[in-house]
Amino acid sequence: MNDDLHAWLDGEVDGRGLDDETRREAELWDRITASLRRDVPGPAPAWIETRVMAEIRAKAPEGRRGGRLTWLLRPRTVRLSPLALAGGLTLVLVAASWPWLGLPGPWATPTPGPAAAQVYVQFMLQAPDARSVAVSGDFNQWAGDAVMEDADGDGIWSLRIPMEPGLHEYMFVIDGERWITDPLAERYADDGFGNRNAVLAVPAPERSS
Amino acid sequence: MAPSSPSDTETVEAVLSGRPDAFAVLVRRYQDVLYAHAARMVGSADDAADLVQRAFVKGFERLARCREPARVGGWLFRILANECRDHLKSRRRTDLSVEVLPPLRTPDPGPDDAAREAELRRQVDAALDRLDPEQREAFVLKHVDGRPYGEMSALLGVSVPALKMRVHRAREGLQTLLEAYR
Repeated sequence: MNDDLHAWLDGEVDGRGLDDETRREAELWDRITASLRRDVPGPAPAWIETRVMAEIRAKAPEGRRGGRLTWLLRPRTVRLSPLALAGGLTLVLVAASWPWLGLPGPWATPTPGPAAAQVYVQFMLQAPDARSVAVSGDFNQWAGDAVMEDADGDGIWSLRIPMEPGLHEYMFVIDGERWITDPLAERYADDGFGNRNAVLAVPAPERSS
Repeated sequence: MAPSSPSDTETVEAVLSGRPDAFAVLVRRYQDVLYAHAARMVGSADDAADLVQRAFVKGFERLARCREPARVGGWLFRILANECRDHLKSRRRTDLSVEVLPPLRTPDPGPDDAAREAELRRQVDAALDRLDPEQREAFVLKHVDGRPYGEMSALLGVSVPALKMRVHRAREGLQTLLEAYR
């Protein structure tokens, strides 16, 4: 198959410059594509909507409906959470795993809790031009409601989030519309749509004796 | 005056704010175009409908990750495209690894154009089934849907040169068919 035929099929040249053999091949391609285009699949079966919505309604009670509220109100075990900022652009601290990093913040009082202990994670992002920053991940159903704060206006946004031990994917959302991957994350995962999520490994909290 | 249909952005926001039933707006809006693509990709109406259903449910589950709600249709299309490619790869593993495809036949000369076209089409379908799923996808979008490369690139998130390469390889893969009909 020669380049002239590819160029013609790509719409980059007209057919006047094709030699006889290439022109015959071009005519056959016309027949092939015309044959394929004649097959119009028609409208989607009506049952697709019925089944999709039935499946969604079955999933919704533990997913979207009240999911965020449940997440916010769920009882948690709080561990020591030192606040520290190493001089990079972004920083995610798993507080309970590195208690030696800095001084405990005002929220650092250990709280007895149920057996399923969680740890606080401190998310930080330097974004001096942002009007708002949120962290969105699998831990909040990828909602944009985990809004970070920059109380002193220095462009360093932060938020503490209690999280379950394990691997979590997340991204930052700037001004409610621009999603960015944490450039300093320890690891990344393909999100299935050509982009990368940052991956955070939250260790199990140390048990106090 | 009839109420206007909610925009994609409004619909996505409604679903994410706790109204999952609003997702039906997106299903009704995009199911036909998704179904048409799936049917052309996998060649089976039943499989296509199942894939569209699965794509919509995945779309609902991941909706908060849709970065451009105004273009949620394209985002759903990419989910479906992934489903179709996975389906074809699975089918190739289970079917084509053991199937011996019939040899391509040169059509008998004669005045029966309809029969010739039917035979051509049968062989085209068989040849398409032998293509790599990504090549088939690019070929279908280019030559069956008639989309320009730029639109394909925006739809799939793949560069134009990469898509051109896939289409070219798809054509090369079908070259045997052309040889039989020359």
